[in-house]
Amino acid sequence: MEEVPIIDMKGIVKIYPDGTKALKGVDFSVKQGEIHGLLGENGAGKTTLMKILSGMLPPTEGKIYVKGREVQFKSPADALANGIGMVHQHFTLVEVFDALHNIILGMEGHGHFSKIDVDNARKKLQKLMDELNFQVPLDVPVENLPVGVQQRIEILKVLYRNVDVLILDEPTAVLTPIEVKELFDVLRTLKEQGKTIIFISHKLREVMEITDRVTVLRKGEVIGTVNTSEATPQLLARMMVGRDVVLRIQKPPKEPGEPILRVENLWVKGDRGEDAVKGLSFEVRAGEIFGIAGVEGNGQTELIEAITGLRKIEKGKIILNGKDITGRPPKELYNLGVAHIPEDRTHMGLILDMTVAENAVLGLHWREEFTGILNSIRWSNVKEHAKKLIEKFDIVAPGVDAPVKSLSGGNQQKLIVAREVSKNPELIVASQPTRGVDVASTEYIRNYLVKLRNENKAVLLVSADLDEVLQLSDRMAIMYEGQFVGIVKPEEVTEEQIGLMMGGIKDES
Amino acid sequence: MIDMVVSILLGSLTAMVPIVLTSTGAVVSERAGVVNIGYEGILLMAALFGAMFAETSGNAWIGLLGGAFIGMLLGMLHGAITVYLKGDHIIPGIGVNILALGVVAFGIPAIWGTAGQHQVPTNFRIQPLINTQYGSLSPMIPITFAIVFITHWVLFNTPLGLRIRAVGENPEAADALGVNVERYRFLATVYGATLAGLGGAYLSVDWLGVVTKEISSGRGFIALANMVFSGWNPVRALIGGFIFGFFDNLSVWVRTNPAISQIIPWQFVAILPYIVTIIIVAGIIGKVRPPKWDGRPYKRE
Ligand SMILES: Nc1ncnc2c1ncn2[C@@H]1O[C@H](COP(=O)(O)OP(=O)(O)OP(=O)(O)O)[C@@H](O)[C@H]1O
Ligand SMILES: [Mg+2]
Repeated sequence: MEEVPIIDMKGIVKIYPDGTKALKGVDFSVKQGEIHGLLGENGAGKTTLMKILSGMLPPTEGKIYVKGREVQFKSPADALANGIGMVHQHFTLVEVFDALHNIILGMEGHGHFSKIDVDNARKKLQKLMDELNFQVPLDVPVENLPVGVQQRIEILKVLYRNVDVLILDEPTAVLTPIEVKELFDVLRTLKEQGKTIIFISHKLREVMEITDRVTVLRKGEVIGTVNTSEATPQLLARMMVGRDVVLRIQKPPKEPGEPILRVENLWVKGDRGEDAVKGLSFEVRAGEIFGIAGVEGNGQTELIEAITGLRKIEKGKIILNGKDITGRPPKELYNLGVAHIPEDRTHMGLILDMTVAENAVLGLHWREEFTGILNSIRWSNVKEHAKKLIEKFDIVAPGVDAPVKSLSGGNQQKLIVAREVSKNPELIVASQPTRGVDVASTEYIRNYLVKLRNENKAVLLVSADLDEVLQLSDRMAIMYEGQFVGIVKPEEVTEEQIGLMMGGIKDES
Repeated sequence: MIDMVVSILLGSLTAMVPIVLTSTGAVVSERAGVVNIGYEGILLMAALFGAMFAETSGNAWIGLLGGAFIGMLLGMLHGAITVYLKGDHIIPGIGVNILALGVVAFGIPAIWGTAGQHQVPTNFRIQPLINTQYGSLSPMIPITFAIVFITHWVLFNTPLGLRIRAVGENPEAADALGVNVERYRFLATVYGATLAGLGGAYLSVDWLGVVTKEISSGRGFIALANMVFSGWNPVRALIGGFIFGFFDNLSVWVRTNPAISQIIPWQFVAILPYIVTIIIVAGIIGKVRPPKWDGRPYKRE
C-alpha cells in the first residue's frame, strides 16, 4: 500500500488581491522524513506556496491534507498546531528582543499575567541546542548578531514549537560557505530524528547535496518532481527555465585599459567606531572586473559605502578618472558615472511601498528626459522607461504601477540592476548582485557585468559567493579584517588557497 | 521653607496624575504599535461625563469609573478603526479632539444649564486622604503609582507584555508564531484610552473640581511628549510626569501668590510647562527609539 504523504496540497490556486495569479493549480506532496527541495525561478510562486502551507496566506482554491486529514489554516497558529513551521525568506525577528524572548514568544508558559519563567525556557532551549549541536547566544538583542546567527534563531524558533515539518525559504542566501555546511549538518540531524524538511534554494549545488526529492515550479505551475539521485544540475535548470542554461560564463580575454577608480591608503570606520577598512590601496581599470571575495563582515560593506559616498572617509583618497572624489556626496558621484548595486536591496536599493516605475527612476528622476515644466515629473516618460527595463531584463512584475514589494525577491534585485546599468556608468560597484536571484537571472546579470566589462567599463564586484568572484573577476582580492590578504588572478590560484586566504592566512610558497 | 517644599511636592504630585495616567496608557498603546493622538479629546470628554456620572450617582468614584468607561469606548472606536479596519492612526485622533470641543461646549449647558463652566459641588468630589494646610493628598496619587508600577511589571515580565511589545516591534514575527496581532493591539489601545479617561475624570471630580472647555489644556499632548521623553517606559513616564506636574503646579502657585507674581508675570510661568515640553522633546528626539511598527497598520498580504 502507498504510504500516506505527510503533506499533500491539491489544486492550490492563489490570486493576490491585486489580481496577480501566483499559483495556478499546484499539486505538491511531501513524504514523511524526507528533505524535499523546492526550485523555481524568481516569482515562480515558491514563497507563496509555502506561506499557504504555513497558514500565513489563505489559498484562493485548493485543499491541504496533513497525514491524510484535510486541514484549513486561518493563521500560522493553526499550522503550528498541526506541526508545520516556516522560516521566512525575509527574517521575522523582533530586533530589540534577545534570542530567548524571540523564541519563546507566543508560548511563554501559563497565563497572561504570570511572570515568564526565563530559567526554565533557557534550560529547554539549551537542551535543544545541545541535541542539534547548534548554539546561539540567548541574551544579546538579535539586531546585534550577525545574519548567520539570526538565521539559527529563526530555525530554533520553529523547532522549539516541536514541529514535524520545517519549511526553510532560501535559508542559505545569506550564509557563508562554512555556515551552509553547519546548517546542512543540522538538517541531517533533524532528518535522523524523523523530521520532514522543505528546502528552497536557488543554488543547484546545495539542492543536489542535501535533498532527497525536488519539485520544480515554473510560473505558478508544477513542472515535475524528481528523485535527486536521478537528477543533474543541468536537468533541474532546464526544468526551471524551460530551456538550456549555460551554467558557465563566457568571458573573452581582454587587455584592461586606463585605471578608472584608484583607491589610496583608505581608512574607514565601522558603525561601532572600529577601524573597518585599514589602509587599502588598489585600482580598477577600464574593461576589467575587479572582484573582492571574503567572509562577510570583513570591511567589504564599509569599503563599498566609502567608495559610493555613503560613509565618511577617515583617511586616504578615492580618485575617479583622475579626479579626486574623496568625500563627495552620492549624487555628484552618480553624475560622474558611478553606479551602485547595493547589497541590501530592501533598505538601500528600493523603496518598497513605491511603484515599479518610481523605483525605476530613483536617482535618475532629475534627468531632463523625466522632468517637465517646473521640474515636475513626466510620468509618461518614467513609465516608458520602466517598461523598457522590465522588458529588457525580463522582470516579472504585475505592471509598472504595482508596488515594488509585490515583486518576488529576485525580481526586485533585477530591477535594481536594470536601473543602475541604465545610468550608463563608467564604474559599476556591484555588491552581492545575484543574492537570492534564480539561475536564469543570475546567468543574465553575470553576463551583463561581463558585457559591461567588454564595453570597457570598470566593474568592482563584491560577493560572498566565491564561485561568482572566481568566475567573473579578471583580478580578485581577498579581504580579511579590513585589509587585502592578496590580489590574485582567479586562474592562478586553487580554491584551497583562497579558502585559506579568506581565513587570513597567506600562502607564502 | 519646609512648608514650601511640602506644598510644592504635594502640588506637583497632584498635577502629575492626569499626565502620568495618560502617558502610561500611551506607552502601552504605542508599545503595541498603535498611535493615538486623541488623548486630549478623551481627557476633555471624560472630564465632562465623569462629573455628570458623579453627580447623577451621588458618588465621586462612580464619576472616575465613568470617565474611564468613556475612555474605554473611545479607545474601542480608535482600535476598531486602526487595528481591525487598518485605517490611519492619526486622523481618528484628530477627529476625537475636534469632537470633544463640540461635545463639551454643547454638554455643559445641556447637562447643567450653565454656559462655559460648571463647578462640581464638593460632596461629589473625591475626598483627600490627608489634608494639610499646605495642600492635600488625593487617593488617586497612590493609585496612579500603583497603576504605573503594575503596568511596568506586566509590560516587561509577563507573556502579555512580551506579546504587546512584539506586535508593536514586528507584528509579522509575532503573527508567524501564532500570536494574534489584532487582539493585542486592540487591547493595548483600549487600555491606553481607558487610563486617559480616568485621568480626565480626575480633573473634574478630583483635582480642579470644575468642568470647562479648556480643562484639559494640552495635557493630552504633554502626555505624548512625556511618553517620548520616557522612551516608552512607564516608570520613566512617572518621573517625567512629575517634572511636568511640577511646572504645571508652579504656574498655579505663582498665579495665586501675589508677592511673586509681582516679580514674574504669571503668564510667563503659565507657559513654562509647554516650553519645558518643547525643550525636552527637542533634546530627546532621535536619542530614543520608538517601537519599530509604531503607527503602521499590519496586513498579511
Ligand atoms: N503581496 C503580494 N501581492 C501581489 N503579488 C505578489 C505578492 N507577493 C508575491 N506576489 C507575486 O506572486 C508571484 C510569486 O511570488 P513568490 O514570492 O511566491 O515567488 P518566489 O518563487 O518565492 O520567488 P523568489 O525566488 O524571487 O523568492 C510573483 O509574481 C510576485 O510578484
Ligand atoms: Mg521567495
